[in-house]
Amino acid sequence: MIDNRTELAPAQSRLTLRVNGAACEIAAPPSTRLLQVIREFIGLTGTKRSCEIGRCGACMVLVDGEPVNACLAMAYQVQGAEITTIEGIASGTELHPVQRAFLEEGGFQCGYCTPGMVLSVKALLDRSPDPSDEEVEEALSGNLCRCTGYGGIRRAVRRAIELGR
Amino acid sequence: MLLDRQGSGRRWRIRPDGPGKVTGGLAYLTDMAAPGMLIGLVLRSPHPHALILDIRTENAKRVPGVRAVLTHEDVPGLNAFGIARQDQPVFCFDRVRYVGDAVAAVAADTLEAAERALSLIEVDYAEQPVLDSPEKALAEGAPLLHPCGNELHRTDYRLGDPEQWFKACTVIVEETYVTPRQMHTYMETEGGLFVPEPDGRLTVYSPTQHGFMDRLQLSRVLGRPQSDIRVVSSPIGGSFGGKDELNVQPYGALLALAAGKPVKIHNSRKESVRAGLKRHPMVISMKTGADAEGRILAHRVKIVADTGPYATLGAEVLNFATEHVIGPYRIPNVDVDSVSVYTNNGMSGEFRGFGGNQAIFALEGQIDRIAGRLGIDPWELRRRNMRQPDDPGPLGQPIAPTEGAAQVWQALAESPLWRERSQGVPEDDREREHWIKTGIGAAYIMHGAGLGVGIPDPAGGRLVLAEDGKIEAVFGYEEFGQGLIATLELMMMETFGFEAEDVRIVIGDTDVVPDSGSSTASRATSMLWKSVQNMKGPFTESLLSAAADLTGNPADQLRLGPGGVYAMPEPDAASGNDAGSMLLSYAELASRTTEPIRAETAFHFPTTSSKRIGAHFLYTYSAVAAKVEVDTLTGRVRLLDQYHAVAAGPVMNPQGYLGQIEGGSSMALGWTLTEEALMAGGRYLTNNLDTYLIPTVAEHAGNVAVRPIEELPEGDAYGPRGIGEIGSVGLAPAIAAAVRDAVGVWVRKLPIDPRELQDIPHFARKAVLQHDR
Repeated sequence: MIDNRTELAPAQSRLTLRVNGAACEIAAPPSTRLLQVIREFIGLTGTKRSCEIGRCGACMVLVDGEPVNACLAMAYQVQGAEITTIEGIASGTELHPVQRAFLEEGGFQCGYCTPGMVLSVKALLDRSPDPSDEEVEEALSGNLCRCTGYGGIRRAVRRAIELGR
Repeated sequence: MLLDRQGSGRRWRIRPDGPGKVTGGLAYLTDMAAPGMLIGLVLRSPHPHALILDIRTENAKRVPGVRAVLTHEDVPGLNAFGIARQDQPVFCFDRVRYVGDAVAAVAADTLEAAERALSLIEVDYAEQPVLDSPEKALAEGAPLLHPCGNELHRTDYRLGDPEQWFKACTVIVEETYVTPRQMHTYMETEGGLFVPEPDGRLTVYSPTQHGFMDRLQLSRVLGRPQSDIRVVSSPIGGSFGGKDELNVQPYGALLALAAGKPVKIHNSRKESVRAGLKRHPMVISMKTGADAEGRILAHRVKIVADTGPYATLGAEVLNFATEHVIGPYRIPNVDVDSVSVYTNNGMSGEFRGFGGNQAIFALEGQIDRIAGRLGIDPWELRRRNMRQPDDPGPLGQPIAPTEGAAQVWQALAESPLWRERSQGVPEDDREREHWIKTGIGAAYIMHGAGLGVGIPDPAGGRLVLAEDGKIEAVFGYEEFGQGLIATLELMMMETFGFEAEDVRIVIGDTDVVPDSGSSTASRATSMLWKSVQNMKGPFTESLLSAAADLTGNPADQLRLGPGGVYAMPEPDAASGNDAGSMLLSYAELASRTTEPIRAETAFHFPTTSSKRIGAHFLYTYSAVAAKVEVDTLTGRVRLLDQYHAVAAGPVMNPQGYLGQIEGGSSMALGWTLTEEALMAGGRYLTNNLDTYLIPTVAEHAGNVAVRPIEELPEGDAYGPRGIGEIGSVGLAPAIAAAVRDAVGVWVRKLPIDPRELQDIPHFARKAVLQHDR
């Protein structure tokens, strides 16, 4: 963990939250963005930084199960929350079915959007295991991919739906 | 047969880099960190054009936690960079020429300290007139942006006598095509980690498409031998040409060496937009004439490209566009004049398609207009003008002959999508709302690969049996998502009979790989294939002869297989035990042999014998059909269906091939409908992805059918042709033709302006008329 900011945090700003099931207590100012908390304070770099205005979805995480752009959430807003990042959805070495589907269908190229994309798909299928094409489009419209043209991603989503049946 | 997972069978494989990507475990170079690292920031010009009168850094240096503040005075070597021409200052000293120009850089313990220091650097500027268009830059009396003037490059091509032959034409079409400033929009912005090593060397962890080119350029800037610099350049979160040129590397390197500590830089999206490369905006005027049968007799073209403040590969892009405005057609009289102009707009440079996109959009627009004027089917018109296999290339140069042009033409003619067009509007389309119109269009392309005549274009690689028994395939190529590692792994398995676990791919580190040339210009897969072909014999022989020494079996009775060396099955036992038995694993072979087992190859990308700079020898051919829906109330275009026939030789990796065509066409869709990095007065109006709109999953509702044509002429020595760019060049003209088919409007400017396609409703038209009166 590389922590360049801890010393700037006032002693009273303790952020407590759970990340991938583990309790974390972090000395972060309340206005620190969740993206920084995850990448820099906790050192989990699967959550990616890209547009930083909530448009691209590269930093998508689940906050209490709901997809949230980590660049738009501040530390005080996730006090006590359960955060799931891409590192937290496999069970041990067993990949999550959505991860498996992306692997098998080639639903990625450079892979930089993939963590956020996988989490958005997971959140969708948790809520709606057999979504229509329109629901898929709606759920993934906040996740930009520049490499694939979304062909592999659509196939991966279909495969993930099958795997979930 | 269409390309998909089912039809690919066992050749559809899980990518070796896949698990790290779907689990988030793969560390990109911008994810890296080092103990005690500093944060680096670059101060960029607030003005598109200004003289620098003074730079004062004293206050910035006094900020607690600041370890280095650098300006032009702190560049030990050449204060300039550029792959082809070093005209871009690392730090500006007398003048800034665009809003991305760097004036100073800071490294500090924290981001906050670095930001504070950056804000305290004082620069006195005297603003200058902003040359925000090629017209202004070429106007008489315009200030000169460079000592050589405001023309980066001018080129032409002439054949026959177009002036004379226009007189013989039945139809002449004149049109001016305008294309936008497109952003690569790789999801990972530029950045990296720069580490001064205890032995005095510098390690650069930063994405690029050619590690050795970065090393050469950094060696010039730093004034150090190349051997003192190690460039680690993969994995990369997308590039598309955009990370080919240096970006943050000079600043990271200089700051790390000045501070004596590791420095991390990771551009914000806004800074990436401001400083980074874009596709050249071009204005292409064409006059094209044909006889009554549709045979093109004369073709005159003028290209004006806005290259922005510095060269990078602007001249090479212009050469490429000049070659590709002629296309896969026999045109006896041609006259092309092209100029690439320095301006105070954003940087233009290398971008997937490399000037072919703009050229082909314009050329195919002409072909469709001629067909429309003559009442000839547009695809038939293409057949009448189609090049033949032994014809010279577009610039009259000898090229590798293939049947590609005819093959893709035929495939498209037989495609369901094109047949749908000739059969008229199907039932389901008639049921749409009456303001929704559908149309189908097509485009026909040849696209060159490799860097072309006159540019060093080395290739090669190395195969080694490593000490631990792994077969190492060592190449100087980069993985930016295209699937190069997966392709190479499959190639090694299919060429030698290895299994995936036997092979270790080593790329992207100048300390260990040979210079295989750049991963650009649709060249890497072709060059991997050629390298592996070159090494197949010698490497197999050296493995088998070492195994023969150790086992006592004659080498010609041995063969390579999964996991190790096998005895050839007895001829009469072939039916029973086809696999033979493994005599020696690769690990045993490695530990017991005394001789190093390796093979190496080095060669040059195949070029034409012509002396014409930039002319290509290897081409990929493609035919693209698109079906669109136009809402005439809003003017919005939706892509419903696409068909791509691609003649590029054998498919090396089905998943990668499909991904390149699908992904390339997605970039073309954005370029056609929504993407434009808008500028006004030399400043970006679109600064992030809220206003710069790349396609989302919702824009990709339609089917994408990809039909690879793998057959090559007998004796063809060049193998698989490039497919990295071809998917990105044909869709725009196909959509433009489909829009014309749907609503009767000829598109000449991209992205398509919905206002041009809006049909004013009858009642509103009446109101307007009354109002006018």
